[in-house]
Amino acid sequence: MDSGFLLLQLLNGLQFAMLLFLLAVGLSVVLGMMNFINLAHGTLYMVGAFVGFAAAERAGSFWAALVAGPPAAAALGAVFYAGLLRRMQQAGAMKQVLVTFGLIFVGIDTVRLIWGDYEQTLPAPSVLAGSVHILGQVYPAYRLFVIALGLMLALILHLGLERTRLGAAVRAGVDDRVMAASLGLDIERAFFAVFCLGCALAGLAGVVAAPVLEIYPGMDMAILIPTLIVVVVGGPGRLAGAFLGALLIGMAETFGAVLVPDFSGFMIYAVMALALLLRPQGLLPARHSS
Amino acid sequence: MISTYRAAAVAALAASLAAGPALAEEPIKIGLVLPFSAGPYVPLANEIADSLAMAIADAGGAVAGRRIEVLREDTTHKPDVAQAKAKKLVFEDKVDMLVGPVGSNELTALLDFANQSKTPLLIPNAGDNEATGERCSPWVLRTSFSNDQIVREMGPWMVKHGYKTAALIAFDYAAGHQQMDGFKRGFTQAGGTIVNEQYPPFGPISDFGPYLAKIKEVKPAAVFTFFAGPPATALVKQFTEFGLKDQIKLAASGWLISPLNLPGEGDAAVGVLGILNYVPAIDAPENKAFQAEFQEKYHRIASEFAAQGYDTGKLIFAALQSLGGKTADKAALVKALHSVTVKGTRGALRIDPKTNNIIQDIYIYEARKNGDRVDFAILDKIPAVQDPPNGCNL
Amino acid sequence: MSTGERRQHIVAALLLLAALAAWRFSGYAGEDRLGEIAVWAIFAMSLDLLVGYAGLVSLGHALFFGLGAYAMASLALFLKGSPSLALLAGVATAGLSALAIGAIVVRLAGVFFIMITLAFGQMGWAYFLRARAFGGIGGMSGVRQIDLGRLGLDLANPADFALIAIIAAALVYLLLALITASPFGRMLVALHQNEHRARALGLPVQRYKLAAFALAGALAGFAGGLQAQRTGFVSPELLVWTTSGEVLIMVILGGLGTLVGPVAGAAIWVVLRHILSDMTAYWMMAMGLFFIAVVLFAGGGLMGLARPRAAADDA
Repeated sequence: MDSGFLLLQLLNGLQFAMLLFLLAVGLSVVLGMMNFINLAHGTLYMVGAFVGFAAAERAGSFWAALVAGPPAAAALGAVFYAGLLRRMQQAGAMKQVLVTFGLIFVGIDTVRLIWGDYEQTLPAPSVLAGSVHILGQVYPAYRLFVIALGLMLALILHLGLERTRLGAAVRAGVDDRVMAASLGLDIERAFFAVFCLGCALAGLAGVVAAPVLEIYPGMDMAILIPTLIVVVVGGPGRLAGAFLGALLIGMAETFGAVLVPDFSGFMIYAVMALALLLRPQGLLPARHSS
Repeated sequence: MISTYRAAAVAALAASLAAGPALAEEPIKIGLVLPFSAGPYVPLANEIADSLAMAIADAGGAVAGRRIEVLREDTTHKPDVAQAKAKKLVFEDKVDMLVGPVGSNELTALLDFANQSKTPLLIPNAGDNEATGERCSPWVLRTSFSNDQIVREMGPWMVKHGYKTAALIAFDYAAGHQQMDGFKRGFTQAGGTIVNEQYPPFGPISDFGPYLAKIKEVKPAAVFTFFAGPPATALVKQFTEFGLKDQIKLAASGWLISPLNLPGEGDAAVGVLGILNYVPAIDAPENKAFQAEFQEKYHRIASEFAAQGYDTGKLIFAALQSLGGKTADKAALVKALHSVTVKGTRGALRIDPKTNNIIQDIYIYEARKNGDRVDFAILDKIPAVQDPPNGCNL
Repeated sequence: MSTGERRQHIVAALLLLAALAAWRFSGYAGEDRLGEIAVWAIFAMSLDLLVGYAGLVSLGHALFFGLGAYAMASLALFLKGSPSLALLAGVATAGLSALAIGAIVVRLAGVFFIMITLAFGQMGWAYFLRARAFGGIGGMSGVRQIDLGRLGLDLANPADFALIAIIAAALVYLLLALITASPFGRMLVALHQNEHRARALGLPVQRYKLAAFALAGALAGFAGGLQAQRTGFVSPELLVWTTSGEVLIMVILGGLGTLVGPVAGAAIWVVLRHILSDMTAYWMMAMGLFFIAVVLFAGGGLMGLARPRAAADDA
C-alpha cells in the first residue's frame, strides 16, 4: 500500500465519515435526550435532497439546494413533533418508534408521487466541480468541501452546546431530564429546538451527499442503517460520540472495502454487534444512565 | 332411443359450439408480472410494460379477430408476491402467457412456476446465464439477453484496439460475476491480462472512492465494469472526479451509460465505451420509428429496457399471427415463438430453440459530445450473437 | 383462566372457524392467501411470545424465519433427505441458532436489544445475499414438498397446503397458549412487568429470557420451513430487516401479548397489502398511514378494541 493510496483512502474515509456525522448527530442527540429512535430520520435526509434538488433546478444553482433543503426537513420534523410526537410522550418509546416506521412508508411514496421514480441529479457547484492535486494525488474538490463542511459544523455545534444557554439546557436534559426540569430549565423548548435542528442536519446531509451518492426514492433506506450503527457505536446523546462513531464507521467501511472485501458486506453489522456487547453505552457514553 | 328431432338439435348445438364465433372473440391475454410500485426497478418495469403495449397497439392490437389484452400485476419487488401474482394471472385470469421479471431476485420464483404450470414465460430483462443455461426450461424464453451474451465480445475487441491490461469492478452478486467472468474469458483468451478485480458488496451506498483508489494504484490500461441505475451514475462521475479518466479507458456493459443515466452523468460520460444489445443511435428505420413514437409519448429517449419491451411485444404478435390467433395449445405457442423472426428495434431477432435465449446483434459504441448533449457513436456491430447451449438440453 | 385468556381462546376459536369456512368456499386465489396468512400467523405468534410476553422487542426475528427456511431447503436439496425431516431440522437449526445468539443478546434491553437484533438479522441477510452455495440474490428453488399422499393431500395444491397450514397454526396457538398459561409463562410476564422485583425474588431472569428467545426462534424457523414448502423457493428477502419490521407490525396490529391478536394482524396485513397493491402503485403510503392510525388510536391493536375498556397497554 503506497502513501498515495493511503492518502486517498484517508480522505475518502473522512468524507464518508462527515456525511455520516451530519446524519448521526441529530439522531444521536434525540436518542440521548428523549430515548427515542426516529426511524424516519432517513426520510428527512431524502426530503432534504429532493427539495434541495427542486430548488436548485428552479434557481439554476447548487447553493439554492443548501438553502432550501435543511429548512424543508426541519419544517417536516417540526410538524411531526408538534402534531404527533408530543402527543405521544405518554405512549411509550416503542409506540414512537413504530409510528416513525410507518412514516418511512408514507415518506417514500410521497416523494415518488411528487418527483416520480427516476433518479435525479444535483450536480456539484461549478466552483467545486473539478479536482484538486494534493500531495501528488487527484481528489475531487467537492469531497474536500464535504470534509470541511462537516468539520466546521462539528465545531459550531460543539460551541453551541458548550457556550449557549440552549446548549446548556440540552446537556442538562441529556444528563438528567427530571432534575433539569425541576431546576426550571425549559426542557421542552430545548428538546423541540434540538429535534428540529437534528432534522435540519439530516436534510443538509441529503443535499451535501446528493452530488456523491445520487438522489432517488429509496435513498432513505440506504442510509438509515449505517446511521443507526454510528449512533450506537459512538454513544447516543453526545456530539463527540456521534463524531467519533462516524469516524470509526466511515474509516472501517472505506478501508474494509479494499482490505477485506469478502468480509466488508457484513462488517459494519458485526462492528455494531460488538459495540453493543462490549460497550453498549457507546464509545463516549452520555453521563446519565438510560 | 333419441328422437330424430332431439338428435338434430344436439347435433346443431354441438356444431355451433365447435364453430364457436363467441370463442373467437375472447381476447388473447398477456400477463405482465413486474415490480411496478416498489424497489429499484420501478422505472424499468414501466418502460418495459409501456413499450410492450405500444408494440401490440402498433401492430394492430388484435389477431384473427381476437383483441390482445395486456394485464399488469405488481410484484412489489418481492419474489413470493411475484409467484402469487403469476398464479393469479394463470389460474384466475387465464392468461395465455406471462412476461417477467425485471431483476434476478424474482427470476427463480417465476421460472419455477412457469415450468411447473407449463405456461409460456417470456423474460423481458433479467439476464442470469443459467435461465437459458443449466436451468433452462422448455416453457421459459428470453427476449432480452444473457449476461454472457452481452459482454463476451468486448474482451477481444479491446485487446484488438490496444488495451492489454484491465481492472474489473462490479457488485458482488450473480449478475456482476457473470458479466465480469464473460469479459475476462474473452479478454484473456485474446491475450489480455486482468490486473485487478473488485466486487463491492451489493449494497445501496455507491461510494466508489475506495475502489477507484485501488484501481489507480494498479494502473490498468482500461477498466471494465457493470453497474446500472444510481450506482452507475455515481461510478461514471467518480471515475472522472478521481482523475482516472485521463489515464484509464472506462468500458462497461452499456447500462453504465444508459439514456436513463446520461442526464445525471453529463460530460463525465464522454469517452466511455459501452457494449449492449441496444443503442438509441441504431440507424435503422424500425428503431427510428420506435424512438420517434416513444419520445413523442414520454418526452425522453427510449432506453434499452423500453426497446426490449417493444421487441417482446413484436415477437409475441408475430408468433400469434403465425398461429392464426389460436392460443389454446401452449406448446404450439412456444413453437411459434421459436419460428418467427422479427425486425425489432435492435435489428433482426429470433429465439434460439436450443437455449430459448434470443439471438441478436450486439453493438459496441462510445459516448461522444455533440454540441451541448452527449450521445452515442456506434463503433462496431457483431451480428447475430448466439449463446452456446452451456448446459441447456432442450 | 382469566377473562382475558378466555376472550383470547374464544376469538381464536372464531378465527379458526372463519379460516376453515373461507377454506371451504374459496377459489384458487383465496386458498393461496389463506396459506400465506397461516404461515405469517405462526411467525407473528412466535414474535408475540418474545415481544408481548417476554417484553423483548426484536427487529431481527426474520433471521430465524429465514434460517429455518434455508436449512429446510438446503437439507432437502443437498442431502436429498426427506422433506419432513428437513423441516424438523430447519426448526432445530433456527432454535439452536436462537439459543446461541440469545445467550449473547438477552443481557441487553430496550433500544440496545432492538439494535443488536437488527444487527444480527442484517448479518444473516448479508451472508445469504453473497453466499453462492445458497444461490445468492436469487436464492434456491426446487424445494421438495413433504409427501402427504397417504393422507390424500398434495402440498402443491394451494387448497391442501392451506388446510395443513391452518391446522399447523392452530397447533402452534395451542402450544403457546399452554406455555403462556404455565408457570414458566407467568414468570415471563412477571419479569417483563418488573424485572427488578423478579430479580429480587431470585428468578433467573436471563435464563427465562433466553428460553423465550430460543423458543420464539424455533417457532419462527417452523414458519420459515412452511414458507419454503409453500413457495418452493428460498431467498435472502426472508431475512432482511424490513421483514422483521413487517411481522412486528402484524403483532402490533393484532394486539401485543394476546397470542391470537397477531393471527388477526397477519390476516389483515396480508389481505390489505394484496388489495391495496392491486389498486394503486402508492400502496405503501396507504399501509403506512393505516399502521400509524392503529398505533395512535388503537394501541392495543384489534384485541385492544375487543376489550370493553382501553387498558394501559404499553410494552
